[in-house]
Amino acid sequence: MAVDINQIQEKIHVIIYAYPGEKRYILAMMQDLQKICNYLPREGLELIAEHTGVAFSEIYSLATFYKAFSLVPRGKYNIKVCDGTACHIKGSAVIIDQVFNSLGIKPGETTEDGLFSLETVNCLGACAIAPVLMVNEKIYPKVSSSGLLDIIKAYGGHVHEDGKS
Amino acid sequence: MQIIIDGKKIDAVYGDTILETCRKADIYIPTLCYHEAFGGQGRCRLCMVELEKEGQKKMVAACTYPITEKIEVRTSTPLIKKTRRNIIMLLYKRAPNSLLLQKLFREYECQDNSLKEDPAERCILCNLCVQACQEIGSNAISLIMRGTDKRVASPYDEASEACTGCGACALICPTAAIEMVEEGNKRSIWNKTFELLACERCGKLYTTKEQWEFTAKKNNACASDRQLCESCRKKAVAEKIKAYQAAEH
Amino acid sequence: MKMENHKFRKILVCCGTGCLANGSMDVFQALKENLDPDSGIEVETYVKATGCNGWCEQGPLVKIMPDDITYCHVKASDVKEVIEKTIKNGELIKRLLYRDPQSKKRFKSHHEIDFYKKQHKIALRHIGEIDPASISDYLSCGGYQALQKAVGMQAAEIVSQIIDSGLRGRGGAGFPTGLKWQSCARQENSPKYVICNGDEGDPGAFMDRSIMEGDPHTVIEGMIICALAIGAEKGFIYVRDEYALAIQNLKQALADARSFGYLGDDIMGRDFFFDIEIVRGGGAFVCGEETALIASIEGNIGEPRDKYVFPTEKGLWGKPTVINNVETWANIPVIILEGAENFASIGTDHSKGTKVFSLVGKVMNTGLVEVPMGTTLREIIYDIGGGILKGRQFKAVQTGGPSGGCIPAELLDLPVDFESLAAAGSMMGSGGLIVMDDRTCMVEVARYYLNFLAGESCGKCVPCREGIRRMLEILTRICEGQGKEGDLELLEELGETLQIASLCALGKTAPNPVLSTIRYFRDEYLAHIREHRCPAGVCRKLTEFYIDPELCNGCGLCKKNCPVNAISGEKKEPHVISQELCIRCGDCINNCPFLAVKVK
Repeated sequence: MAVDINQIQEKIHVIIYAYPGEKRYILAMMQDLQKICNYLPREGLELIAEHTGVAFSEIYSLATFYKAFSLVPRGKYNIKVCDGTACHIKGSAVIIDQVFNSLGIKPGETTEDGLFSLETVNCLGACAIAPVLMVNEKIYPKVSSSGLLDIIKAYGGHVHEDGKS
Repeated sequence: MQIIIDGKKIDAVYGDTILETCRKADIYIPTLCYHEAFGGQGRCRLCMVELEKEGQKKMVAACTYPITEKIEVRTSTPLIKKTRRNIIMLLYKRAPNSLLLQKLFREYECQDNSLKEDPAERCILCNLCVQACQEIGSNAISLIMRGTDKRVASPYDEASEACTGCGACALICPTAAIEMVEEGNKRSIWNKTFELLACERCGKLYTTKEQWEFTAKKNNACASDRQLCESCRKKAVAEKIKAYQAAEH
Repeated sequence: MKMENHKFRKILVCCGTGCLANGSMDVFQALKENLDPDSGIEVETYVKATGCNGWCEQGPLVKIMPDDITYCHVKASDVKEVIEKTIKNGELIKRLLYRDPQSKKRFKSHHEIDFYKKQHKIALRHIGEIDPASISDYLSCGGYQALQKAVGMQAAEIVSQIIDSGLRGRGGAGFPTGLKWQSCARQENSPKYVICNGDEGDPGAFMDRSIMEGDPHTVIEGMIICALAIGAEKGFIYVRDEYALAIQNLKQALADARSFGYLGDDIMGRDFFFDIEIVRGGGAFVCGEETALIASIEGNIGEPRDKYVFPTEKGLWGKPTVINNVETWANIPVIILEGAENFASIGTDHSKGTKVFSLVGKVMNTGLVEVPMGTTLREIIYDIGGGILKGRQFKAVQTGGPSGGCIPAELLDLPVDFESLAAAGSMMGSGGLIVMDDRTCMVEVARYYLNFLAGESCGKCVPCREGIRRMLEILTRICEGQGKEGDLELLEELGETLQIASLCALGKTAPNPVLSTIRYFRDEYLAHIREHRCPAGVCRKLTEFYIDPELCNGCGLCKKNCPVNAISGEKKEPHVISQELCIRCGDCINNCPFLAVKVK
């Protein structure tokens, strides 16, 4: 869900300045920033550079190195398909394809209406109930191709009966 | 302290790396990511050598291994040669149009294989450009992303405020991967175009305005300082000294 | 069945990730609501949300003490009945008890079940028994007594206890923990740091998560003991940011430990200061590597450096640092309290104690298990794990995550310890055991791991970055039917260069999944390359499913499940798969009760 950055500028400032202006708090600042904005807005990264005195190029390097961060806004419902080993051998690749078939998005993409975005994650640590996927904070265990369609529908996604949108 | 390199006794300074010690002793070890100004990075792994310590052999990167005890080093064994050949092959496949890698590919007698080549790529990610930019103090570029997507870029691939167009990155790049284009009095690099300044004395276009201001600020110079190219600056200094000496006499 | 009537009952609801996903929080809430003091129940009750019991397959799990009853697959709608019958009257509800699929026998207590009987719990000793958010729960089962004991010991004595125990790092390489501490203790430089590596990144392993969530104090106690032994004054716990519950429980535990005087100034009345800070990881597998983790705590990108000088000498901010993995820390209090000898009596000659494994994949009882080192793979997979799902054929077990390898059926009697796994071309790693059956393509598994590593390599050194990319290129084309003669030799050649020349363990071990599968499953590779066939029916471009009319009895299950309506057939008549419509998702073959769906 895209957030209007202008409306929360003050909040961003508060979040970043809650930490001392030291290099070692940069990751924490970014994590908190992403929690309220749902991605890392450029304005926020520039503020982190200013607060810590670390070069903006280095801040950008950090933001792109760690996978938890997104530099573009994500959808209202962020579908995280676990592609850990246990999930993989139980068919997560099929689920990823099935999301593409029904919503037309690949990992890292967001639907045009901004409703869904898809990402793959390495392991959610829920291997015993593989394959799993998360929609925002909710975990769905033992997802099948057909079960996936029901999940998407439950969040208001339009899915054709043959699995193609 | 003394260590043994390729069967010869060599004097080494405690804490120096194997590479530094070899360079002093004129023993050749190939490198791509090493520069004396910045020290070893351990990126390219071309400098792998065999180390023997208390009867145990292992392969280490010469550019980062510090000598702190009696060791024996071999800089060229069949396994080292094979490893270096494979590293060159991997880099050649990444940047097949780099003249340097074409040369190394031949020198190391690499065999061609079915792996794909990327004709557009020239960068081998040695990071020397980033180090040079840091050293100068601009910090305009950095390594972004990770894994196989890793590359050097300015933030958001846009013109960076921090870049002064000094061109140090392009100058240090071993594979000519950084494009710096000069047309008329304009220089373009890293998605940014700069105006070149002419030397007040000889008229040669020699630096960007941003670079001149950056250095002037760093050196605490005042704006009234004249904008001179390097050779004219030397001449100017020499003239000043002469004039001073003349006044003394 | 009428049980003994107790005046007090403790109800433990498993709230590990697996059970939570299956709805255990609803069960917990329902119990809380229905058991409030005004509800007129005579029995005094105490409902607790515990950490992961490990038996995720049967979740949500509810244990009732002191009766020692374990209920499986409990739903919120079962709660009223549980209260009425079991909690008020001690009566058993048979349908909620575990039923052995073979003997059809039901069991009252989890202690009677094979899944638990062969386990030996040290690191997981409290999990599932205590409320992780309560320090008094931890104290009531012997918590912080090891610290109390350690405070009365000489620093060198603590170190030698850990050395004598034979404990080796549980995070991967198995470096002797005691030697690490000793090396750091000898450094004159200060301050010194203690780090807990909770950046569990192996896909398919979740023991660290369970320990941090289910018993955070044991990790903290282990770290304080180390600080005492090496003279450190500051500790860091580096946790994946995705592990929200672990972070929450650790935070609570740190606050409680501070207020009870186990952290902070003058710990236990001694002139000893130590505190711990939580650092949330940014999502990078490579940060499990010590030097990359240190770089990350310092606020840098997680690029490792050559470890010719160990972190015990120059670690965090260039200062002496001990880094141990979560599971390693969880063993420390037990070693100190019960003595090194006791610990060393468990396990094999060179691998002492127990190891926690996450037993997952195509096995009946998925979950977390802790067994003595030296237990065979067969015991873990068949006795504890209950064998392969749906009666299919065991093919391989993957150990050690992306750094490990695949071990074939002929090595099922391999005792699991550091040396044996390495000799088989795999490694212990953090302890993922991923069971694979005949529906798993070994070439695709190797491709999967290399694809994982291509995204997770930090990209700093050439062999790892370029080598992985090229090995992945070859494996991908093999999986797509474009394999060439000579590909296997090229993979082996590249693999050797990665092992020799890569900067850190990620690159050095990256070829293991490929080399081990070529070693044990060469024929499967050749089927892909020469016959353009994927025998497991996974590589989609090389797969065609068909239904054997002899075996199909027309139950219609495949037709119902097919997401693209590619299967047709009348009830009780053999069904047919349309090759044009089929997307090769495998739902049909995975669900056919008669094994009638085949791979061409």
